[in-house]
Amino acid sequence: MMKQEPRIGVFVCSCGTNIGGVVNVPEVAEYARKIAHVMHAEHNLYMCSEAGLTTIKESIREHNLNRVVVASCTPRTHEPLFRAACKEAGLNPYLFEMANIREHDSWVHPHEPEKATQKAKDIVRMAVAKAILLEPQNEPEVEVKGSSLVIGAGVAGMTAALSMANQGFKVHLIEKEKELGGMAQKLYKLYPTLANASEVVEPLIDDVKSHRNIELATSTTLKEASGYIGNFNAILTGPEGDSELIVGTIIVAPGSSNYTPPKGLYEYGLNDNVITQKELDEKLRKGEIGEPEQIVMIQCVGARKGEIRPTELEAFPKSDTAELLRKILKARKEEGWPYCSRICCMNAIKNAILIKEKSPKTDVVVLFGDLRVYKEYEDFYRKARDLEVRFIRHIEEVRPGISQTPEGKLQVMVYDALSGMEVTFPADWVVLSTPLIPSKDEIMLARMLKIPIATDGFLMEAHLKLRPVDTNVDGVFIAGTVSGPKDISESIISGEAAAARASILMGNRKVKTDAITAVVDEELCIGCGLCEEICPYGAPKIEEGKSKVREILCRGCGSCAAECPKRAITMRHYSDGQILTQVKALLTSEGSKEVGQ
Amino acid sequence: MVEERFENEKLGEEFEPLIVAYCCNWCSYAGADLAGTSRFEYPTNIRIVRIMCTGRVDPTLVLEALRMGADGVLIAGCHPGDCHYQKGNFMMEKRFDYLKEALKNAGIEPKRVRLEWVSASEGGKWAALIREMTEEIKQLGPNPLRRTKAPKRTDATISAFKSQRLRWVVGRSQIKVEIEEEKYRQTVDLIMQDEIERHMITGALKEKGSLTAEELAQMTGLQPSKIVQHLIALRRDGKISEAGEKNNQYLYQLA
Repeated sequence: MMKQEPRIGVFVCSCGTNIGGVVNVPEVAEYARKIAHVMHAEHNLYMCSEAGLTTIKESIREHNLNRVVVASCTPRTHEPLFRAACKEAGLNPYLFEMANIREHDSWVHPHEPEKATQKAKDIVRMAVAKAILLEPQNEPEVEVKGSSLVIGAGVAGMTAALSMANQGFKVHLIEKEKELGGMAQKLYKLYPTLANASEVVEPLIDDVKSHRNIELATSTTLKEASGYIGNFNAILTGPEGDSELIVGTIIVAPGSSNYTPPKGLYEYGLNDNVITQKELDEKLRKGEIGEPEQIVMIQCVGARKGEIRPTELEAFPKSDTAELLRKILKARKEEGWPYCSRICCMNAIKNAILIKEKSPKTDVVVLFGDLRVYKEYEDFYRKARDLEVRFIRHIEEVRPGISQTPEGKLQVMVYDALSGMEVTFPADWVVLSTPLIPSKDEIMLARMLKIPIATDGFLMEAHLKLRPVDTNVDGVFIAGTVSGPKDISESIISGEAAAARASILMGNRKVKTDAITAVVDEELCIGCGLCEEICPYGAPKIEEGKSKVREILCRGCGSCAAECPKRAITMRHYSDGQILTQVKALLTSEGSKEVGQ
Repeated sequence: MVEERFENEKLGEEFEPLIVAYCCNWCSYAGADLAGTSRFEYPTNIRIVRIMCTGRVDPTLVLEALRMGADGVLIAGCHPGDCHYQKGNFMMEKRFDYLKEALKNAGIEPKRVRLEWVSASEGGKWAALIREMTEEIKQLGPNPLRRTKAPKRTDATISAFKSQRLRWVVGRSQIKVEIEEEKYRQTVDLIMQDEIERHMITGALKEKGSLTAEELAQMTGLQPSKIVQHLIALRRDGKISEAGEKNNQYLYQLA
């Protein structure tokens, strides 16, 4: 292909006053016009508006532009939009570059307009330099099989399976236990309706069992997984031995576990009347609580313990995700978990209400550092107050203490933050509210499917806000509490969401994957195999003495390019040249010679 | 433009460092975005270059940026365990040990280069980090390489990090090595030293055409015995050849 002379258009956005209120936008556009290869530069109030996008498209045609630079906000949100505009105007979307002069400039330097303008010019010059070296890329396209593997038949997994099955996709639903229903199956009543959990779970189980598109396998786990989006190869192991499947998508919904306090924490494991909220649930179901005089609940037991970064863990492993999680689990066992488990406050309130409704004379006291009752649960909390459940706030750092009276009855001491006094409550039962924590099944699944684990130990979403049920592995989605504590309705939502995301792929039957992949220069490659050994995805493979990168497996991290002894690997869209040209444009007169005048 | 800015320094204006930040797309770039969204203010001295993962940061990308005059280089990625690609940040961390060793060899204060973990939710940490780093670099003063016409040792270090031999041993450290880690490190450092010196020799030969061992010793500042050792190795590898004699000494040239 003949290399075209770069013809670059630069579009500088004011973003209302977000950029224009600090950076001298007309001056930046004027400056851009003088940079070599820039054929057209202008500024606009909102580049992302319909009018702004039309301007870009028209300018591409009018000035015969073959590269576009938009200086505006972060590419993390707006790059897809501008790329699409380029594509509409017939330009390969990879010939677009973004200069972030809002998040990285005007918003952080509001009181230094001159320096911010100078910085904006630098950022634009760097982006133009990269644009000059951009190359068109093609996103590889793969077929997507119209079938899905759902791992875990809890509420989230069953919801996801049903949703996809109802759309006509073949679903293989596997569950490691003999019974379906997961954690919800073991619950008694649900907040805030106080309905029996079985009313939600049983119909789901019946539907799943009778659906013709769902192939169900209990006592079955995933043994091995390989392949890629659209064509995953899964080996299952169950009572009848191993079986093999090929599916287009995978939904991971193995759930989570409930934190069990270490023996001795608040006398847990030493005194039979100290139980967890989950154990209370079971006792309420069986009617084993009766009409005691006093019940004390302690919130956040093992939760919100201040974050321990895994770097601080002793003998931290170098690269093994599974090993990492094992270490996290071990440390957490003693130290507790850093996050708010989200469901425990409502769960405690629910059980308090259940006790009060049955036995109004029982004094129920809830000791908390912070009580988090969001959305409609505020009313639920009020209901508990109306039933005279007592909520006592202590300072988060000063935890309640527990002891026994000479008569052998439990008593809980707490520093009441409101009265500023130490108060003692005798208790027939002490109930500990403990968080949901990552399950051990997650270790194996994360390893097999190559999903990253976040520092809280749960599986990591592709993007916390924008892609909450996607994982970094294309075609693999997460549902339920495997990505963090959720209640039943939230688990159902995530199950539906994951099913919808998977169905888009299966419905389209084809998918384009990212073009940012590694390319091997076979002339330079000596077939040493280092890339094969370090790649977390198994993308490069040595064949006939040369490394061949299977694009579809490559995620584009570039670790192989950074380590290749022969420097034979280039990252598409992020080559050494494309990176260094920006630095060169910033720092050297040679680089900024591109600036005309 | 750039010249102008560097000129100002000479005129005694307050030194405003330029720091290049290689930020991974998933955590630190997003962390810097969040600093913006949260309106955390910090000095204007940083210029961000987006990469997909710190695993991508070849030591040469850092060395070249310093060679071009960056007063500091920041490599910012996801916290250990949070890598979008599972272990790219671990690979960077491993490499960073060697990079620091390289900086010493290249005559650059190691403090000019930092490897930091900033997550997408740590906008405040990002702002604080930039404030701190800018202050540190101001204390250090301008990158000395800017005033050096041809920093031979730095150039040789960059070449060494492009050489197959050094890259191979650095790369191997990413996977399980059979010998003790500390021993391996020492070996890599020795090889690094070797490669830098050899590239100083080939650099000198490239510049002057042909030189004797004595002249090479003078030009590079290396011990004559070292020069001879390297000449033997370079000849064996086919990198140089003899080019006649001068004052009863062999002349060498690039092969």
